[in-house]
Amino acid sequence: MTLWRRVGAWVSGLRVRLVLAFALLGVTTTVAVASGSYFQARTVILQQAQDAAVTSLTDQLTKVYPIVQLPPTQDDLELLAQRLSDRESFAVVVYRDMRTQSGSKLADPLTPELRQEVRDGRIAWQRVSLAGEPALLIGTQLALDSPDGTSRPSGVEVYSVRSLVPEQQSIDQLASRAWLTGGLSLLLAVLLALLSARGVLRPVRDLSQAARRLGEGDLSTRLTIRGADELADVARTFNDTAGTLERQVGELRRLESDARRFVADVSHELRTPLAAMTAVTDVLDEEAEHLPGDAGRAARLVSQETQNLTQLVNDLIEISRFDSGTARLALDDVDVAAAVTATLRIRGWLDRVRTELAPGIVARLDPRRLDVIVANLVGNAFRHGAEPVSVRLSADQDWVTIEVADRGPGLDPEVLPHVFDRLYKADTARTRSEGSGLGLAISWENARLHRDGDRRGSLVAGNGHHGGAVFTLRLPRETVDTGGAR
Amino acid sequence: MTGRRTGRALLASGLLLTLVAAGCGVRPSGVITGRPPISGPAQGTWLYLLAQGELVLVLRPVNADPSPTAALSLLAAGPQENERAQGFTSDVPAGLDPVTVTAGAGRSGDLTVRANIAAQALSARAVDQIICTSVAAAAQVSAANTATTVTIVGSDGARGPRACPIR
Repeated sequence: MTLWRRVGAWVSGLRVRLVLAFALLGVTTTVAVASGSYFQARTVILQQAQDAAVTSLTDQLTKVYPIVQLPPTQDDLELLAQRLSDRESFAVVVYRDMRTQSGSKLADPLTPELRQEVRDGRIAWQRVSLAGEPALLIGTQLALDSPDGTSRPSGVEVYSVRSLVPEQQSIDQLASRAWLTGGLSLLLAVLLALLSARGVLRPVRDLSQAARRLGEGDLSTRLTIRGADELADVARTFNDTAGTLERQVGELRRLESDARRFVADVSHELRTPLAAMTAVTDVLDEEAEHLPGDAGRAARLVSQETQNLTQLVNDLIEISRFDSGTARLALDDVDVAAAVTATLRIRGWLDRVRTELAPGIVARLDPRRLDVIVANLVGNAFRHGAEPVSVRLSADQDWVTIEVADRGPGLDPEVLPHVFDRLYKADTARTRSEGSGLGLAISWENARLHRDGDRRGSLVAGNGHHGGAVFTLRLPRETVDTGGAR
Repeated sequence: MTGRRTGRALLASGLLLTLVAAGCGVRPSGVITGRPPISGPAQGTWLYLLAQGELVLVLRPVNADPSPTAALSLLAAGPQENERAQGFTSDVPAGLDPVTVTAGAGRSGDLTVRANIAAQALSARAVDQIICTSVAAAAQVSAANTATTVTIVGSDGARGPRACPIR
């Protein structure tokens, strides 16, 4: 099927069509010209041969005059036939019932229509096929000059039978030359077609390759413009389009990076005042218990919000590192089960989480980032899902897989594509969540930062068979630090 | 595209077919006629005998006297051996000889053949033999003699004038 489709595509391709068109054009022209000149040459050759033969016969016949006796004797007829025979022809002489023939064993080469025409008193000739070979029959009567100026038929009919084999050979030579010319012109046509197909197809192929490169994101792709034909126009248009695209994309990237830098700068600028505010709120926290009523609640609120703000700023700084490509992995050979257990223990979740951790899985990764991801996923499960929360660790040759599942309502299909978006709020009515709204985005970036060649870490959100959200983290076992490459 | 290609293929194969149908090499032809046959002089006496009921020209080797009278005498003598062998006959009675031929007094060039025979009893073919032979002989004697009609005068009257049916 595929083979047939490919053959079909090749057959209907430009190259084959061009070759066919050129070949047909060449063959048609050659056939027309060659056959035309062949027929004309054949006619000329045959006419010349016939005319020469007729002239030669009449010349020879003038020498048999004067005729002294009628009716002639058989000897007379034989003598006449002998005189008219030569290497290429023989003669048949007929007088009423008498008939003599020189030089050939053929029974009777004469055709009735020719004899009739000769008897009616004209020189006549005809091409016939004698024993498979072409021959020319020429016939005439011997007429007698009457004393009164007219001529009278004597009744002696002379026929000359001349072989046309030499003419046939010349004509056959013409034909074979015509075939040769036709074959050569066909060859030439095919060569020309291939050449012109190359001339057309190469720019088309270049264009196709350039378009593919452009589609793959290489916006600096340009075509070399050759000549001034339609294909050059297409190439020029392509270059213009690519140029415009590159400019606009560059502008967009510049704007985006400006925005990110702005966020990063703002975050950094906020750190110092936040540190001061944290110090103040620590004091306030201690004093809150002694403060009466509303003042105590306000102090606790300020303290809580300051912590949230600090968390948000830290997350923003973290994410701006990913965006600027300055995030670096601190790789270490890590016992993954132990690392996950440690994460849970530090947060005090070890008793609340069901763990299925395959022991002895050692992977090369950044333990701090693994800790951030696992803590975020489990924390989210507690916050948004419902217990029991389970963490499963498994591994194969190339990958380490950690699944975090809860038994809550699961993720809304509309939400699913956006869970890793920054500051995305699943519940639009809830304008303020406990988290910064950046946790999953940071986890996702952390997962992707781990890569080994073509293998790249991933974090996927989905719903389990029994309801509840399932987040699946996959990391390559042998991460190689490639710097901040995104 | 397919239709155009099919059309081209049809055109090409049609041309090839024409070529094949017209054939290569030397083809037999019909009868081609040229000018009238060549003509040359004849030496001898022209006589007209009969073969299968038709007038046929016969040349006798030339003798001393090419006059119409001599020619008619030869005609009266009948076909010779070799002529008879080829089926030639004559309707002219031997009694035609002696005969005289004179240029007619009427229209210029007319001939009168006088003989001691029953002219009315002569068959039509015998009359033609006599007329054609005498016209040919008269022309041979003198090219200026352009006689075309002959009157045969016998013992029972005259026949003609008539012209030789062979032109």
